Amino acid sequence: MVRTLDGTVQSFLDGRLWHREHTPFSMQEIKREIDAGNIRTMQGVVTQRGRFGRVIYRCNRCLNENEARYTHFDCAKCGGNCTYCRSCLKMGRVSSCTELLYWTGPPVQFSQKHVNHWQGTLTDLQKRASEALIASNEKGRSHLIFAVCGAGKTEILFEPIHRLLLEGKRICVAAPRVDVILELAPRFQQAFPKTRVTALYGGVKPTLEPAQLILATTHQLYRFHEAFDVVFVDEADAFPYTADETLQKAVQKAAKKDAPIHFVTATPAKKMIREAIQNDALSMIPRRFHGYPLPVPTYVALWRYEQQIIRGKLPVKLHQWIERQVTEGMPFLLFFHNIELMEMTLPLIQKIDPRIKSVHAQDEQRKDKVLALRNKQTPGLLTTTILERGITIPKVQVAVLGAEQAIFNKSALIQIGGRVGRSKDAPNGDFILFHHGITHAMDDAKKEILLLNQKGGFR
Amino acid sequence: MKECLLCEGVLSNKPSWQGFIGFEKQQVICEKCSNSFERTDIESKTAIIVSTTSLYAYNDAMKNYLQQFKFLQDIALAAVFQQELYDVLKGKSNIVPIPVHPNRRVTRTFSQVEALLDYAKIPYKDLLEKRDEVSMGEKTRQERLAMKPLFELKSSVQIQPESYLLVDDIYTTGTTLHSAAKVLLAAGAKRVEAVTLIRA
Repeated sequence: MVRTLDGTVQSFLDGRLWHREHTPFSMQEIKREIDAGNIRTMQGVVTQRGRFGRVIYRCNRCLNENEARYTHFDCAKCGGNCTYCRSCLKMGRVSSCTELLYWTGPPVQFSQKHVNHWQGTLTDLQKRASEALIASNEKGRSHLIFAVCGAGKTEILFEPIHRLLLEGKRICVAAPRVDVILELAPRFQQAFPKTRVTALYGGVKPTLEPAQLILATTHQLYRFHEAFDVVFVDEADAFPYTADETLQKAVQKAAKKDAPIHFVTATPAKKMIREAIQNDALSMIPRRFHGYPLPVPTYVALWRYEQQIIRGKLPVKLHQWIERQVTEGMPFLLFFHNIELMEMTLPLIQKIDPRIKSVHAQDEQRKDKVLALRNKQTPGLLTTTILERGITIPKVQVAVLGAEQAIFNKSALIQIGGRVGRSKDAPNGDFILFHHGITHAMDDAKKEILLLNQKGGFR
Repeated sequence: MKECLLCEGVLSNKPSWQGFIGFEKQQVICEKCSNSFERTDIESKTAIIVSTTSLYAYNDAMKNYLQQFKFLQDIALAAVFQQELYDVLKGKSNIVPIPVHPNRRVTRTFSQVEALLDYAKIPYKDLLEKRDEVSMGEKTRQERLAMKPLFELKSSVQIQPESYLLVDDIYTTGTTLHSAAKVLLAAGAKRVEAVTLIRA
């Protein structure tokens, strides 16, 4: 049943949507498959007519329709007026005269021999969600798993994914953040040792083997076309997925027609919950796997903290908090709303301990610094919201500086709090919101955490 | 909503009277990205080229810029230095861009120096033709210095006994510019100057 197809055009291209000039194959090989009717081509950028005859450009890879993200120019290749998409430029430029390839020949037959090697046990709530997910897969409907941070969402997915793999299905677990993918990949590979698990994110080289289980950032789904029998979107509420409509369309495009698309999140939008209830496809887990309640935020007023820091003075309460973490040997994360303020604060905090570091999205040493925190080589990290989700560091203590800032909306604050007390031996910890005024978002987050704790059986 | 061409951050455009009557300069990148480039205005002289002016240093921001512009083929980035190039080149005559090989022009879909000049609205004369398809960046210094002429005059081109101004994106060893200058001088040009965006 299983054919070895590794390294062939078929195994690479099946399910993918690829720039003709950037394939790992020679032009002749591609041409031969096109002539044989196994590959079809799609124009890279197309035009449609909108209201009042307005011309709308659409990139067939990333589905961007924002006029400001297109550039028109006199192309030396097609000798005419050409248009290219700047939205997905970093994946290799797609223009009007670019051809995108997709496989229409015989589909790859995936292995049906898999083992679920995960040895842990699920809590009752987890088990119920896992079974509901299996039922939804059988019915081909999309499911929502609404589980608090630290509920053990990933473990819920193992058995449903195992069942799908046994049927030879192709599956994608997508998340908006690369950190989440990097953390999930080894856990999935351990759980499914006989399955080819591939992690795709910006900068990683595509492999030629046909991966049956793909973990990918949502951006990478631009490069797929009707590929997956089931898609799981983890942390579906995270930036940029919610803010960028093309990512949502990309998930649809990457899934086969009528394939279920499941969402797994700790902070779903109201609309998402409503739809899931209507379809009878909602699993809610208000309790963390270790049975302890979610940490409730503590407000600490830090008036005019920004001016103090600009003047080179670290606010006293912040100083005390950090000093306590350092002396007690507790790893900590301090969240900032922007990089400039963070870089200004870093030297002030390094006076307490020079090993404290800062991370942000463009930081090349981001992975190493998080690892250093985990290994206790660094006592704490200052960070932007990039570390708000997906990461688990035992005993970590968390504070937000400037919790009143707009970037810290309800779900961001809930996620940040979700970093605390994730392990059984240390289920509690600090979750401090240093602020210059209390916002609705802060109150909403606190209210929701209290409500979830109540639903989880705590008072 | 306009975005910075480089970092995609929102461009703050406060309404102003200059903007209202159309006098304000068009912003294409944000202040932060703009400040990441290092203006140097280095000038050098050699026996062949009387003066070469280079506007910017080849720092990390510029490396990323050139990478995106040339290799990711983001021709929109030609707009980033339109004002600066215009200020240096306005009113000059006999401007000659350093060409790319015709085959490379097709694969890249544009010629980078011509694109820079087009966006800056500077008229130029397409007088030279590249003979060799390999680019300078792919050669070692020894190979560069020991090369045959890189350019030739286009057929039916007449060079006047006047001053010519060569324009290139980057000045590294000077081989490219000198090779082009020699062709122009041999064909009767009185003197040759040069302007490059970057000095490596």
